[in-house]
Amino acid sequence: MIDAARERIIDCDWHYQDSFKEVAAYMPEPWRTKYKHSNWDDAGVKQNLSSFFPTSTGDRQNYGKVVREHSNYPDEPEEPERVREGMDFLDIDVSLQISHLILAMGGVNADDKRVQAFTKGYVEYMLEEVLDPDDGVYGLAPMPYSDVEASLDILDRIEDEEAYVGACFVTAGASPPLGSRKYDPIYERCEDLDLPVVYHTGGSGLDEYVRAGYQEMIETHTLGFLESNMSQIVSVACQGIPEKYPDLDIVFMESGVTYIPGLISRLDEEYLKRPEEAPLLDTRPSEYITDFYFGTQPLEISARNELLELCFDMIGTDRLLYASDYPHWDFDSPSIINDLPMLDDDDRRAILAGNAEGVFGL
Amino acid sequence: MSDGLVEVGPATEFEDGDHAIVEVGRAEVGVVRADGEFYALRNQCPHDGGPVCKGIVQRELLGEFTGTGERVEQYYGEECIISCPWHGWSFELETGTHIGDERIQLPMYDVVVEDGIVYVDTGE
Repeated sequence: MIDAARERIIDCDWHYQDSFKEVAAYMPEPWRTKYKHSNWDDAGVKQNLSSFFPTSTGDRQNYGKVVREHSNYPDEPEEPERVREGMDFLDIDVSLQISHLILAMGGVNADDKRVQAFTKGYVEYMLEEVLDPDDGVYGLAPMPYSDVEASLDILDRIEDEEAYVGACFVTAGASPPLGSRKYDPIYERCEDLDLPVVYHTGGSGLDEYVRAGYQEMIETHTLGFLESNMSQIVSVACQGIPEKYPDLDIVFMESGVTYIPGLISRLDEEYLKRPEEAPLLDTRPSEYITDFYFGTQPLEISARNELLELCFDMIGTDRLLYASDYPHWDFDSPSIINDLPMLDDDDRRAILAGNAEGVFGL
Repeated sequence: MSDGLVEVGPATEFEDGDHAIVEVGRAEVGVVRADGEFYALRNQCPHDGGPVCKGIVQRELLGEFTGTGERVEQYYGEECIISCPWHGWSFELETGTHIGDERIQLPMYDVVVEDGIVYVDTGE
């Protein structure tokens, strides 16, 4: 086992607790004024959104059980200095900040530009107030991918900004799914800029995930967070994004690892029977998918060791990225990786930092 | 320490739900009061090492099947539990057993109250 305190640790998924109140000042009009005078303020931070009466299948903090000592989450917007405090608590050297509020973008149905305005404002706000590469705090730029032009504008904006090391696509609610040719220009630009595409699962629509009527968050969170990523992995692979843009680094975040062997095994089985439906692929989809990178959180450490070992073997320890997801309710500490008995120390260092150094150029 | 007893403090300073942390040998132990009783448990969650004894103390929420097609009846039982503030792993205060998997056990220590002072009894 390595002495994690003496090693470099890069956390590929930290959620900055952005609030509409702060980001609105950076948003273009009319949204700047609309949000400033709305009652949205900290909505989303408190996760009550429009709920006058709670309608969610579950409280993320598990009805008072889970509290966060080193973050304002979930009661107040975050303060930039608390990110460093939390990183010190977890002994993390570098973190990639991902917007908390953008995780809900899949639930936006309105035919206006609120998502575009929010992402534009968020990128500026984080640059101005939060991100600090000299202190190890980097960011992923959220893509309002349903609007390709707006997404390209954001990529143009961050092109020369050291603080942004990737583009984030929230997988929940993406329709058409993210392998669609509609998104090709975004992928092409990311490849040109050498910016990894980070697909991040999300909770929008979770309460009525695929079908309405689930009772508890244990059901909706287990299913929804998993399927939001699974659906996009299948789409991105089958539609040949890795063949179209071979130098594009692809990362999937926040669904653990145990789903991947099952998914790719099933997909390969289908592919061998109907390869004409994925004509851009030269070989089995699993060969492409195991070239993707995967955030480890929430790692299924209660599973049998031989299952995790098989997962790591099939995915490759050179493809796994430590991610905390702090301050969310199911965060992983670096010790989750360090304590795994089936890894050697080189693997531990690779997962905790080395792989991320390569992908994100850190 | 004398007679294997580690002093925690005056019993009157504890309300239900309060905790105090003491060192017992090399282990950090939490002493918790619930329903007027004192319990001592290792302050290290077996999941990820979180400070479990600093978590919320409450009665365990239970569910009962009352008949075909009926809504599962949920109610708070007699058992008091404590939940690790990091991820919510929860343990019975009486036994230190995880409420969802009895194979997961938090080490427990004996508590004695003598002359109004709470001690952890190390048994040494």
